[in-house]
Amino acid sequence: MNRDKLFQALSGLDDRYIAEAIRYAPEDASSASERIVKMKAKRIITIALAAVLILALGVTAWASGFFSMLTRQPDPEETFRINWSENPSGYIEWSDAKLAVTFPDTAESKEIEFRPGWLPYELPSELRGCHPWQNLSADTWFQRLSSEDLAFADGPQSVPAYRDMMQPLLIETYSMSMFNNGGAMLLLYYTPEEITEEHWDEQDVDVMYFHATQHFDAVPEYNMPERTIGENIVVLSNAEGGWVIRLAGEISMDEMLEVARNLEVRETGKTMSYEDFENHYLFIDGGVG
Amino acid sequence: MEDSQIIDLFFERSERAIDELEAKYGRAVTKTADNILRSRRDAEECANDTWLAVWDSIPPHRPDPLAGYVCRIARNLAVSKLRSETAQKRNGTLDLVLDELEDFLPAGADVEADYDYKETVEGINRFLSTLSYDDRFLFVRRYWYADSVKEIAAAMHERENRVSMRLFRLREKLRKTLQKEGLLA
Repeated sequence: MNRDKLFQALSGLDDRYIAEAIRYAPEDASSASERIVKMKAKRIITIALAAVLILALGVTAWASGFFSMLTRQPDPEETFRINWSENPSGYIEWSDAKLAVTFPDTAESKEIEFRPGWLPYELPSELRGCHPWQNLSADTWFQRLSSEDLAFADGPQSVPAYRDMMQPLLIETYSMSMFNNGGAMLLLYYTPEEITEEHWDEQDVDVMYFHATQHFDAVPEYNMPERTIGENIVVLSNAEGGWVIRLAGEISMDEMLEVARNLEVRETGKTMSYEDFENHYLFIDGGVG
Repeated sequence: MEDSQIIDLFFERSERAIDELEAKYGRAVTKTADNILRSRRDAEECANDTWLAVWDSIPPHRPDPLAGYVCRIARNLAVSKLRSETAQKRNGTLDLVLDELEDFLPAGADVEADYDYKETVEGINRFLSTLSYDDRFLFVRRYWYADSVKEIAAAMHERENRVSMRLFRLREKLRKTLQKEGLLA
């Protein structure tokens, strides 16, 4: 579609969508169902069920009144693979990168599974159903660790007790075969403090860990003050195996390293190829939390 | 003041209507124009033209929602102004957001030949109706208002890279939706 037609089509957006985006006000958003021009019945039912479920989870969470961190170790049989098609990308320039993990020509892209052998705690269950976690419905630690919906909890609708708290712990994996022509995982936006580099023989991984910060300029238009946020990041990589695991979050570096050291990583025996991935990227934005 | 009361003032031909409209939507209208024109002075001029255009069109129109109506007029005026002043010259922000989408919505001979503006508009509106409020806000602010990623991130209390990533996915989702509906090859 050429840009003139695109511009023409975008100019025809429904006035209601334009009006509702005048300012960010999710609390004022009316039900999407009334906006749908030609909605199929099945979708309406799905949305209705989802709304009920979200409401029920939210009410249960608040009624429970718990704001404690629960401890639970994952069961030994639980193994996990990232849903590759959900992995992120961006269109940012290489020059923005502050850190990169690249792969040698000889590398193979091994499929991996992982499970933490040690976790400091789980996300408080009462946060389920609350902004920005309203989409988080599965009660498994894996979803909690890998869901982007957990990140950055200081929105205007967030639970006050957790405002300014970022995700405690996020674990993401990346595969070499996701990239075009020798792409890499990059760290963007964040400014790393001193980077410690090690090799852990037990897991056969190269390790980089550091505290990183990201600065936000003030945006008076949105009453946003200047601020700096930070998190601890541990990057485990096996260049020859073509995989990277990134742990990031607000837990202490000691705890983060403990999680990383106890992470059990297994190669499944399958070698991933370019065709295994629906979407391909020049690089992956490893600064996403 | 409620939108309906402002519209009533227009119907009464009260000059207070423009004052109230400007008080309520002045900032949004100026921002809409400024995003396109990248000139505060031109944007303010465009806002003044918008109030006059609203004055000329209400009555007979009774727009609902009023906010979308005035922002649309401001955007159209800004684009016209931009085109008349820059002719072939590309505008940074507007072209950037169109570039982003164009890369995801490739031209296809068969569909292009049968291009139906109304169907495509309806397709995009249907697509928006399936999104969460946050995703819809993101899409509209970026591709209709031409906001920068930074501004959207600030408005949503999100990180810029997360906003970029979500926009990437939305573009991809839009492409797949339009292809599925036969509106894109």
